[in-house]
Amino acid sequence: MVHKYSRLILGIEFLVAAAVWLAASSVDDKFHLIACNVGQGDAILAVYGRTEILVDGGPDRKVLDCLGKYMPFWDRTIELVILTHPEKDHYGGLTDVFTRYHIDNFMFNDLQVSSPDYQALLSLVGGSVGRVIRPLKGQHLRLGLMSLDIENPDATPKTELNLYSVVAELRFGGFSSLLTGDIPNFTFGAKHHVQYIKVPHHGSKNGLTASLLEETTPDLAVISVGVNTYGHPSPETLKMLNEYGVKYLRTDQVGDVEIISDGKNWKVK
Amino acid sequence: MKIFVYVFLLLLLIFRFYVTRPVYKNGQTLTLTQKVLQEPVRYASYQSVTLTGLKIYLPLYPEIVYGDEIKVTGIYEDGKLTKAKLISVVSSGGLFNFRKQLIEFYQQNLPEPHASLVAGIVLGSKSSIPETFWNELKLTGVAHVVVASGTNVTFVAGFLISLFTLCFPRRKSVLLVIIAIWLYAVISGLESPIIRAAIMASVALSAQALGKLALAWKTLILTVYMMLVYQPAWIGDVGFIMTFVSVISLMLFQKKMEIILSFLPKVIKEGLSTSLAAQIGVAPILFVTFGQFNILSPLINALVLWTVGPIMMIGAISALLRIRYLLYLVYPLTWWFINIVGLFSV
Repeated sequence: MVHKYSRLILGIEFLVAAAVWLAASSVDDKFHLIACNVGQGDAILAVYGRTEILVDGGPDRKVLDCLGKYMPFWDRTIELVILTHPEKDHYGGLTDVFTRYHIDNFMFNDLQVSSPDYQALLSLVGGSVGRVIRPLKGQHLRLGLMSLDIENPDATPKTELNLYSVVAELRFGGFSSLLTGDIPNFTFGAKHHVQYIKVPHHGSKNGLTASLLEETTPDLAVISVGVNTYGHPSPETLKMLNEYGVKYLRTDQVGDVEIISDGKNWKVK
Repeated sequence: MKIFVYVFLLLLLIFRFYVTRPVYKNGQTLTLTQKVLQEPVRYASYQSVTLTGLKIYLPLYPEIVYGDEIKVTGIYEDGKLTKAKLISVVSSGGLFNFRKQLIEFYQQNLPEPHASLVAGIVLGSKSSIPETFWNELKLTGVAHVVVASGTNVTFVAGFLISLFTLCFPRRKSVLLVIIAIWLYAVISGLESPIIRAAIMASVALSAQALGKLALAWKTLILTVYMMLVYQPAWIGDVGFIMTFVSVISLMLFQKKMEIILSFLPKVIKEGLSTSLAAQIGVAPILFVTFGQFNILSPLINALVLWTVGPIMMIGAISALLRIRYLLYLVYPLTWWFINIVGLFSV
């Protein structure tokens, strides 16, 4: 009997030690920016310590794999979720995210979409979201050492959903990334260097423009794309990136694209 | 005299086969109102439920869960209900709701695929397992761990009988355990492997309590018979066939395997001998029905099976008490399980 219980206690002690070790080793002091491989769609996760920003949720629950892989397992709160615009390949996975995680802030456009999937997502907002933010050009948000500048949408009414796409510049120290949703023909109108750009609209030909590449001179472009019938990414976009000598990575070819930065230097993992 | 009994039993079985045959014609419009007694499978953009043997595909929302009473209409075509529309969903309370709460506890406190792994091991719930992880499980031959299987029932029975006999006399504990087994069977989905194991465990336990010798083979045959009379369609159900084949394989080969592997340490030996013995019968079926066979499967099973007992125990206790820090103790085990499976499916 004594032997039996001492083995049980030893087992529990081992599990406690292992759980504590795994919990501690799942956090570091670096900034991580992950373009999750969610198939045809967008889901970009930024993590610093135990603060997370999720931009779009991909088409389905695949985004949960990404959250599970890059967030500390004991962290059940996402500080900010941004839905760039209400299309299925951007919001589809958010329903599962909202049922499993607490969301401190949810930024999304106030637009009417009648699909039952979107209504199911909206019905969860009351229960799992702390605060709703409506995106507007000029907003500045700080989350720990990460900061966000909202560049789109402005207040004027638009003719299509893509034009409402939230465009945000996400900064960590000296590292700057431009997250673009599905925005067509976006420009700053002036020189504006960033290290990282998420190519708009899965590399569609009505996404990225030469003038945006000239203004931002990015070091790395990431195309979030999966199997699709739209011809994404388009040969024109890829050609443009090659002409401007911008290195690009595609989630359908390399899986999750993870960037690690200490605020000064950065690298692709 | 005995021969008449056998002839009667056989005739009853044939009669049941005849009366329960589906009578639908292709192109016929059907409206079904029924309780969902098999866990719906959720895919990326739709969900599928099975009602009276008919596969029905529906949009992801509203979400249907095991135990809901649903009303659907559609057109019958070769064993499927096409163009199906969901008219109403009424969720049942009680045990069904309890199952849902347990699964939500895992989903809200552990990331994927850890949450699904625990829900799969404790409750045989496979509907929310991420696609990539599910493929890895199938590839490595350990998917049986997360689907409703008889092992769960046997484990619950074994754990409870040793717990109850501490505080009650033998006969009373047997009765309590049998009740508990059937409650567990309802909570974890009334699928054929679960029912098989629940019947066999009940027979074995009551024989023990009554001081009679339960003959394993007799019990097995009687169980097959009872289940087929109740639901003749099970004869074509892979889960049904598999659960009996694995039990037969275990009865035939496990002892021998243990002798062959007697040089191994106990922790490894149990998992390996069980899995090798079961594989002898199950592997050919897996190969024929799914075209899958992994030569390393017994080794992978031996590496992960030891975690299943503790995961089930910690998972069940923490969800019943709703203590999330207790649930975190499964994380090292699921971490090991997931990484081993990932390692072998590259």
